[in-house]
Amino acid sequence: MDVTPRLARRGALLCILLVAWGCGPRPGTGPRAASGIELTYWPAPNPQEIQLADTLVRIWNALHPDIHVAMQPIPVSISTEEVLLAAIAGKTTPDVCSNILPAALHDYMQAGGLVRLDEFPDFDSAMASRTPRELMEQFRAGDGHFYQVPWKTNPVMMFLNRRLLREAGVDSVPATYGEYLAAGARVLAHPWPGGAGSIWLGERDVRPLWWQRLFDFFPFYIAATGGRTLFSAGKATFDDSAATGVLEFFRACYGRGYFPHTYFSGGDPFLLEKKATHFSGPWEVAAIRKFAPQLDFEVAPIPVPDGHHGPVYTYGDYKNISIFSTTAHPREAWAFVRFLVEARHDLLLLSICDQIPVRGDLLANPLFAQYFRDNPAMVQFAHQALYTRSTDAVPDLKEIFDAIAQEYEACAVYGRVAAPLALRDAVRRSDMIMEWDR
Amino acid sequence: MTGPRGLARRLASGDRTAYWFVLPYAVFFCAFVAYPLLFSLILVFHRWNIVTPMEWIGLRNFDRLIGDGLFYRSLLNTLTFLVIHIPLQAAVALALALLLNTGIRGRGFFRALYFLPVVVSGVAVTILWQQLYSFDNGVLNGILRAAGLGPVPWLVDPSMAMPSIAIMATWKNVGIYIVLFLVGLQNIPRELYEAASLDGAHPVAQFRHITLPMLNPTIVVIVVLSTIGGFSLFIEPYVMTGGGPMQSTLSGMLYIYNQAFSFDHMGYAATLGFVYALVILAVVMLQRRVIDTELTP
Repeated sequence: MDVTPRLARRGALLCILLVAWGCGPRPGTGPRAASGIELTYWPAPNPQEIQLADTLVRIWNALHPDIHVAMQPIPVSISTEEVLLAAIAGKTTPDVCSNILPAALHDYMQAGGLVRLDEFPDFDSAMASRTPRELMEQFRAGDGHFYQVPWKTNPVMMFLNRRLLREAGVDSVPATYGEYLAAGARVLAHPWPGGAGSIWLGERDVRPLWWQRLFDFFPFYIAATGGRTLFSAGKATFDDSAATGVLEFFRACYGRGYFPHTYFSGGDPFLLEKKATHFSGPWEVAAIRKFAPQLDFEVAPIPVPDGHHGPVYTYGDYKNISIFSTTAHPREAWAFVRFLVEARHDLLLLSICDQIPVRGDLLANPLFAQYFRDNPAMVQFAHQALYTRSTDAVPDLKEIFDAIAQEYEACAVYGRVAAPLALRDAVRRSDMIMEWDR
Repeated sequence: MTGPRGLARRLASGDRTAYWFVLPYAVFFCAFVAYPLLFSLILVFHRWNIVTPMEWIGLRNFDRLIGDGLFYRSLLNTLTFLVIHIPLQAAVALALALLLNTGIRGRGFFRALYFLPVVVSGVAVTILWQQLYSFDNGVLNGILRAAGLGPVPWLVDPSMAMPSIAIMATWKNVGIYIVLFLVGLQNIPRELYEAASLDGAHPVAQFRHITLPMLNPTIVVIVVLSTIGGFSLFIEPYVMTGGGPMQSTLSGMLYIYNQAFSFDHMGYAATLGFVYALVILAVVMLQRRVIDTELTP
């Protein structure tokens, strides 16, 4: 008797069973809901956020035995956006995800992957009680609706090494381009023990990497324009005097020798006390605490053009929460989202992750007072959080930032192209990309 | 005469063994050559980011390509690389092959030594050269400083970066071309040199009037292979410079890679690939014509 076909059939059956088992829910996420309502929640895959998500899910499951939430960190890949797009295509998205990059929202919407949140009757009241209207509005999608709940922000600010600046004779925080460049002259002229080139005023990654511009050109442009971003009514509008000023400012930093042209590969030069200022987000506080506890630092808003009036805005590096349209229980998923952004859970976000919740009462609500007393460096970020902007929700933002990065390199780093010309070229390329995308 | 009926009859008969032998390559060809080629031809008319469904956009990828400054820049960079790399590669390979074709001691050792970089991983070689070329603490600039000279901005100056990469690529690939030249040199009949010597031709004249013309087929092969290899320039700029400074090392392949895997523009990347393939075809045909005309006695 020929046994091969039977073996093949058994093998195929075994494969199907293994695949089906592999796609099932992960063990160890607590007892199942008796009524059968199951929600899946994907947080960011870093240890702090996994710890936060685990804590929140345990509290939720204890309070809601009828709606069980299973937490699973976003599968590790090159980027969360790639994973989510693949999941949308494969219809394997979770019910809720808390690592939504606003810039990627357009792609998710285009793929039909998200639930409209303002269709829930209590959306407006829930948002109004937490997030200031002005901040909320920037997350309105092109169709006029909301598909994301602003969850946390990491405002880009200026870190200052007080010891280095004091030694160089800089007594006050440089708040404007002029003051910053004057500080640069002092740092450059100071006879540092390691010799010329051992200490710099600042440093930026000189490689034309698109995301690096989220920490120099983009926040400085937002600051110089009093809170404007790169696009207006879907059209690139950053070839203006503010952007010219930003590029010329960085060009002066490189041209006058205040910033090195070298790429540092031996660690964070701010932590190594090789540069006096650094543009970064609140995660830098945790890094200083861990790797350079002796570092005497303070945090201030990024420099603005001379004569600037009004608050200093910056890039907020937001991560938001969305519900995916594959959910079988949108109302329960929305209840879970509301639970995630309750004030006491925002306190957990602060204390476990050292990241700033997008809420207006951070410094007024007594619930958060103890945290800010224990972490004074985070107070500046809480102040700044109200004056932040996200990236524009336009397609192919990555390539548009790449175009800016190329011109930034040519104009600011190498000083080979005049700022207005560099901006004109960047806008032309942005227009070409946008036109192709239509 | 073998018509379809004849083929069917042969297949039906016991004479099928040869088809089974051909089958593995036929499967390989279909899976890894014919299917990707056909699929990329379809992609040329679509916008596709891998995960969402393809969108038919007609000739808009070509429309974008025509107005895309970076496409022309990458083409120019690749041609710059070829202009430096091909003559340098051919000259160095020929010089070393002539040397290794004489009776010098340790010939086998040197042949192996020159071939060694060819078999070493391209990424490893590139990282090694990155250390050599480093502006602040590189070995080459260390030597220059020790000699009292200033450092050379090998990879950080837009006008120096591509020549630096061409030098590195020559070092990496020269071994294989030495072998090709050695084969060519050893196929030249000794009688030609003996006759030339009797006629009073000095070594330079022998090289010019015997060696070079007799090596013509080898030179054609080397130039064509170098051209195709040069158009495939990717690892070196990807690892060393990322296409910078100021896009001076953005090669055609690197631009295709960026469009496909950094920006998820599969359709546009396929369009760039097709146009590059046409450019390579045109350049190779031109080279063949020029070399055939100039070197054929």
